Amino acid sequence: MKTRTGLVIGGCLLMAYAVVGATTDADLAPAGVLLFLAAVLVGHDAVWMVAVLAVGAALTRVPPRCRTTVRIAAITAAAVTVVGLPLALGFGRAADNASVLPLPYGRNLLAVLLVIAGTTLLACVSPLRRPRAADRKESERPGGGSP
Amino acid sequence: MVRHTDPPVTGPTRVLRRLTQWCLAPLPAPPAALRRGPMRPEVFRSRLRSPRLTSQLGVALGVAFGVCFITGLLSHLIQHPPGWFWWPARPVGLYRFTQGVHVATGLASIPLLGAKLWSVYPHLFSWPPARSIAHAAERAGTGVLVASALFLLVSGVLNISRWYAPMPFFFTAGHYWVAWLAVGGLLVHIGVHLPAVRAALTRPTREPRQDGLSRRGLLGGVAAASGLITLTTVGQTIRPLTGLAVLAPRHPDTGPQGLPVNRTADGAGVRATALDPAYRLRVTGPDRSVSLDLAALNGLPQYTADLPIACVEGWSATGTWTGVRLRDLIALVDADPGHSTALVESLQTGGRYRACTVAPEHVVDPLTLVALRLGGEPLHIDHGYPARLIAPNRPGVLQTKWISRITVREPR
Repeated sequence: MKTRTGLVIGGCLLMAYAVVGATTDADLAPAGVLLFLAAVLVGHDAVWMVAVLAVGAALTRVPPRCRTTVRIAAITAAAVTVVGLPLALGFGRAADNASVLPLPYGRNLLAVLLVIAGTTLLACVSPLRRPRAADRKESERPGGGSP
Repeated sequence: MVRHTDPPVTGPTRVLRRLTQWCLAPLPAPPAALRRGPMRPEVFRSRLRSPRLTSQLGVALGVAFGVCFITGLLSHLIQHPPGWFWWPARPVGLYRFTQGVHVATGLASIPLLGAKLWSVYPHLFSWPPARSIAHAAERAGTGVLVASALFLLVSGVLNISRWYAPMPFFFTAGHYWVAWLAVGGLLVHIGVHLPAVRAALTRPTREPRQDGLSRRGLLGGVAAASGLITLTTVGQTIRPLTGLAVLAPRHPDTGPQGLPVNRTADGAGVRATALDPAYRLRVTGPDRSVSLDLAALNGLPQYTADLPIACVEGWSATGTWTGVRLRDLIALVDADPGHSTALVESLQTGGRYRACTVAPEHVVDPLTLVALRLGGEPLHIDHGYPARLIAPNRPGVLQTKWISRITVREPR
């Protein structure tokens, strides 16, 4: 219990330090930070997660023997896209500095996604892959593949 | 049986106990008619979510955020050193390593955070929304933790993509203070959920067969995603993996003289003054000053060092630099390099990084140069022509370019 109390009190003190530091830092506009905190929270919970659940629900239509592989592929593709999309959009490029974002990121991101898709396809059609009992019986289960 | 009654409670203890009771007292339940949409029971039916999955993802995420916090704090202290802080000049590539780890770990955390938040998403709609004041406070704390964790990863990705428009604040300061907020929130979160995490990780569980994706399958998928992100980005600092770094914001070979540039001469507004034939480097000591033109600098003993430019954005690249030792320039003005601090100023008239302070550990190091050449050629103007600082084990933003003045400060 002492450990937990110490963690909670220590954590509260660090959060207070962060708030005091942010509000007294001459380089920082706290309103901008608050706005961004709210934006990423709402964007994640109300937009991103809803999209993830919708994709998850759609993947329940994938044949059971491929479903695991496709889900792992979807997780990987989503994560890579989060990293690659800001690069592909290229808003950070600088006209006077060719060393900033020097690669064709749109093409590269597409290539990585295609590799993921290709690997997934190969894994699904591979004759070495046997469907698991759980896969075979999936359609008999209630609520399978829900968000 | 004799029962011992509790000792009488008085003073602050009584107040504390009453406060605790007040915080834990059940709040009135909201009308059941409000329980709609995702707050209805059994909306989230995936059997993949479990305390064990959440705990395992949480432990991994805690370690990743811990690594990011320590390496990020280190980078902050190097750039804004308080009086007690000491940072060595060796090993040469230590900062390159710590900052490379900072960015790589942050990027690898993205799928981890995504999976963790997915695993606890139904809690967002738990009913009743607040069982007590303490429960409401705990939920608010979790909200702060989630928001700050998302803030750190999203702002970090935007920063390495150099896309600043969506961020209505100065990135460095915002990222720094929100990191403290996240770590504070993380400690509170661990303190609140520690028994549940311990139970979930130690209790043997017989999990039902999953609908396609098992817990281990999901963890494997998250690991694969983290691995792929690392594989396609980390080549911006680990040279043998450069060929795979198709999503790295920088390529260690791309840039003037085969080295990336962060701030160009035009961006810094120094092109005209840097190319001015009347250029002089002024070195000011406690008792005397010298003014050196480019020919005089080239006439001093020249030394060559292979040193990395290690950027706070996580990329790094090694160059072969030739120039005058900083300690030799300081000796020119009769100061003791072993006990001197040097303020190195750029031709820039403004900007956060127009000047830097070089501590005695770096001043005295024979690898710390006022470089005039890169790869045997005169410095490209975007690399700091006519003269720039290059020192071992320092962030790139402290390797001041287009040096105009060096002021030797009093020994400490």
